[in-house]
Amino acid sequence: MTIWHPTDDGFADLTSHDTFVSGPPHNTFARLRREDPCSWTEWDAGQGFWSITRNEDIHALNRQADLLSSARGIRMEDQTYEEYLARRTFQETDPPEHTMTRVKVAKAFSKPVVARFDAQIRALCDEILDEALDKGRFDATKEIARQLPMRMLGQIIGVPDADLPWLVEKGDALIANTDPDFTDHVLDKMTTDAYRLMPFNSPAGAELYDYAKTLMADKAARGDTEGVLHLMLQPGPDGSVISETEFRNFFCLLVAAGNDTTRYSIAAGIQAMCHQPELLAQMQGDEIWDTAPDEIIRWATPALYFRRTATRDFEMHGKTVKAGDKVLYWFASGNRDEAVFDDPFRVDLARTPNRHVSFGQGGPHVCLGMHLARLEVRLLFQELAKRIKSIEPAGDHKFLRSNFVGGIKELPVSVTLA
Amino acid sequence: MKATWILPDGSERSADVPAGRNLMEAAVAANIPGVIGECGGTLSCATCHVYVDDAWRAKVGGPGDFEEAMLDVTEAERTEASRLSCQIEMTEALDGIVLRVPEA
Repeated sequence: MTIWHPTDDGFADLTSHDTFVSGPPHNTFARLRREDPCSWTEWDAGQGFWSITRNEDIHALNRQADLLSSARGIRMEDQTYEEYLARRTFQETDPPEHTMTRVKVAKAFSKPVVARFDAQIRALCDEILDEALDKGRFDATKEIARQLPMRMLGQIIGVPDADLPWLVEKGDALIANTDPDFTDHVLDKMTTDAYRLMPFNSPAGAELYDYAKTLMADKAARGDTEGVLHLMLQPGPDGSVISETEFRNFFCLLVAAGNDTTRYSIAAGIQAMCHQPELLAQMQGDEIWDTAPDEIIRWATPALYFRRTATRDFEMHGKTVKAGDKVLYWFASGNRDEAVFDDPFRVDLARTPNRHVSFGQGGPHVCLGMHLARLEVRLLFQELAKRIKSIEPAGDHKFLRSNFVGGIKELPVSVTLA
Repeated sequence: MKATWILPDGSERSADVPAGRNLMEAAVAANIPGVIGECGGTLSCATCHVYVDDAWRAKVGGPGDFEEAMLDVTEAERTEASRLSCQIEMTEALDGIVLRVPEA
């Protein structure tokens, strides 16, 4: 079994989901960082975009939300104004509108609030690991990585455990909407536009919305005011209340984003353990835990890019970005930038400082759930390392078919117990 | 102009800060531990929380509405001296300002 290396020829088609089936095209990103750090990709008549690939440039642009707006879409694909209005969440807004929503929900994900989940997460890790490790040989994405975020999500939004597999299936169909393993409605192969006004362009969005409505009605009937959904329904500092569409879209965002990003961070961490055996011994000690979660999340980069739209012309590395042009921040590239990271293709659990951009650091849209993600990753790997003597690949791993979500969807491993 | 940070262990660090720069950016540039600024100063994270030294509180003033809300999200306890340092811009009037970094 060999460690995974990028195999692209340095000129990969970033618009193609198929490119990413063999992992992110890191040879292409390395060439762009070196030769063309603000690079134009021509794409289907008028749909072209700029790619920003250097870590430093991503940080510098990300804080300028007035210059690079989120309000015209955050994916590579264009959408009409009608689609934008129907599908948007606060991810697709700019300050101060974004800040208005952000301050409402930030409380539910603050570091002290999240820290209260510590014991619960450890208990979930116990259950999940006991069941998985007993098998000896198993798919680590399916048996471990997929399980923890799903069950945590249920506790945060307050849904019964029995509903969780259904919720996660729908969440996958939303966000992995370009991988036929996760949805019957593969976005770039769809022959109908019946779903274009639904969250993530997917019929799963409508089903999730119905679920959210029933859930909130039940909670209201019981007088239950716990949790992030309740916070979302409260008036903001200016007295404004969110619309039904916004609430629906926020619920879908929680189910989708709260789910697969942490899953693929855990999967990437396990993959790294398979190929760098020294990591296990380090994880069995207690010196690396202030830094290890961020390094694992850098290694994973579950959100490969986010897109912005220029609000006025600006110059970048000798190019002129025009008002209205789409600009992609490639986090996948920024997290392997040799100018910022020594030996970027190795996992160094003690890496500090770690200026990775997996959470979109440096801008207003920095990940709402980042403290929870770090905590889940830390506890899972602490518990895993306690229980095993070795872990090895038991077959090739497979990447998701998506140029937006970077993830190992199948990760066969074999373990020996401690 | 100068700003000083008092760390939780009581030690002090100072840095020159040009007028117009916010004190989160100044702290990050000076590698002050405990001031992180994960959202780049856009009021989305509360990881640049500091306590303004009593002698400077009147000059610095209180938080704005959004900052007020985000101060509920800080890791360390919020007090009357709490501010998000990304929202404090260096001016001549603040030359010499002293900030305390909360315990992590």
